[in-house]
Amino acid sequence: MANRFRLPDLGIGIGLRTVHYPHIIEQQPDVAWFEIISENFMQTAGKPLHFLDAIAERYPIVMHGVSMSIGSTDPLDRAYLKELVALRDRTRARIVSDHLCFTGVAHRNTHDLLPIPYTEEALRHVTARVRAVQDFLGGPLALENPSTYVEHAGSQMKEWEFLGRLAEDADCALLLDVNNVYVSAFNHGFDPKTYLDAIPWNRVVHFHVAGHTSYGTHIIDSHIGPVVDPVWRLLGDAYARAGGASVLLEWDAEIPSFEETHAEALRAREFLPTSSRGLP
Amino acid sequence: MSDRKPTPQLGGATETFVHERASATPATSTTREERCDGDTPDAPSDSSLRAIEEWFVSAITAPHASDRLDADAARLLISGPKLDAAGRLAIYRYGYRARLVECLVDDYPALKFALGDDAFESLCLGYIERHPSSAPSLNDFGRHMAQFCREAAPLAHREFAADLASLEWALVEVLHARVAERLSSEALGSIPVEKWVDAKLPPGGAVRLLRFAHPVNAFFQAFKTDREPSPDDFTRNPSATAVYRTDMTLWRMDLTPAMATLLESLFAGRTLGATLETLEVGLTPEDAAEAERNVMVWFREWVAAGFFAGVDLG
Repeated sequence: MANRFRLPDLGIGIGLRTVHYPHIIEQQPDVAWFEIISENFMQTAGKPLHFLDAIAERYPIVMHGVSMSIGSTDPLDRAYLKELVALRDRTRARIVSDHLCFTGVAHRNTHDLLPIPYTEEALRHVTARVRAVQDFLGGPLALENPSTYVEHAGSQMKEWEFLGRLAEDADCALLLDVNNVYVSAFNHGFDPKTYLDAIPWNRVVHFHVAGHTSYGTHIIDSHIGPVVDPVWRLLGDAYARAGGASVLLEWDAEIPSFEETHAEALRAREFLPTSSRGLP
Repeated sequence: MSDRKPTPQLGGATETFVHERASATPATSTTREERCDGDTPDAPSDSSLRAIEEWFVSAITAPHASDRLDADAARLLISGPKLDAAGRLAIYRYGYRARLVECLVDDYPALKFALGDDAFESLCLGYIERHPSSAPSLNDFGRHMAQFCREAAPLAHREFAADLASLEWALVEVLHARVAERLSSEALGSIPVEKWVDAKLPPGGAVRLLRFAHPVNAFFQAFKTDREPSPDDFTRNPSATAVYRTDMTLWRMDLTPAMATLLESLFAGRTLGATLETLEVGLTPEDAAEAERNVMVWFREWVAAGFFAGVDLG
């Protein structure tokens, strides 16, 4: 176990998506774990939770949120956090994560992962909020680096410096999305290795990989299609630096069959260090 | 009664209305938008985190691109290696709307089919402007669509669209509804005869009773079976439908006027005695006679379907 939080390396998992429910329920495929989008199971008491309960009964679950809005200057949403904790307890989720971003302000939620300016003020603000959330959760929060398409002119440091300092100051975990590193590196013109060099690896508890869509002038983190080899190689590099952590494939549009999705996730084995290739 | 046989809406696990919210960005290249300087948000008054966040959200959600917005973007955002600041901002402007439109497509597939792709997208963009999200989850985002169709949207078939939106939203509500308790046949049968007149039957958690000016359940069923819409579909013809869930299956059941009157009265909290009296004043003689003949059969069906949470004997 490489990370300082003693969170388990669950192996290679995939995102839980409704089109795969019948296969999962009926075939009970051999998958190491599933990641859910937390908000898909909030503000509901019906059918979604029925399926989630059945799947959580058999598979380890990790929760990945898109609306914590940790970078927002609005007050933390306590009702949201309560619901998050209830869902974590219901699913016995092994990891709870969200993104380094804000999703809205002044009580408007854009449901997008918006980049914050990387300033000293923002670092202090986000650090305090991550600490408050971790107090609420009674455990570590894993923050993911987002794909970004703009940089604020007022930023005083690069994202990787901000993320590294935040992780240390707030004592939080990190979910490193290597596809996001690749996408942002193209969009902003930096070397992905520079990003990896700044990561405090003992805080990385989880990796994401995904497909993306390139338009020549920019790359969109669309989660469509297979993962490109440069992203897989970046995963191999990051995995070695971290000494291992759970790996997850996100495929969120034009989703293929369960078997094809899972097979794509298991391609990770080809790119991980030799000693890790027996991963489930 | 065959035309009122309940129709399964969503059986098993394959079709659910769980929205696939994810951290992905809707795929698009940047496209030229309609431009209008009139509604451009003000630039931030200072460089505080709050001011930058407020401007950024306003810049993304502003209804139109504009020269002034481009100029502010060029000042407040850094150009990329291959895309200028305005082009980069446009990715977020597109993604904001695309994600919410996608959510409304999930909730209102038949409405999209009825209106056509372009009219539905225009409807959604107006809705997003009028009812921006403030909740962490998008499960409740589409709640106001029927009202929006009825009151605010420029639509050719406004009332029909509102009725259809009501039906589709009821399906969403019932999908997510909590079912804490339901009246059993045994409990119903155990009510002493002398108590019936004062008994109340509160509605179950996963049932919705809807009255329409148009036969939208028939239209919805046609949509589900890939039938092309006809002009008759948009003709006024009052109807009523119950939408409900048994275990994990959603159902739609057309109701006769007598059925709808009975259920409306019970769901409003009136006693069985008072409810049966409404049949005499609220229905035609033919409908009232139908109710008298069938009321016990209907009750057994409704109880089996979980229409009632329990029985209140006062």
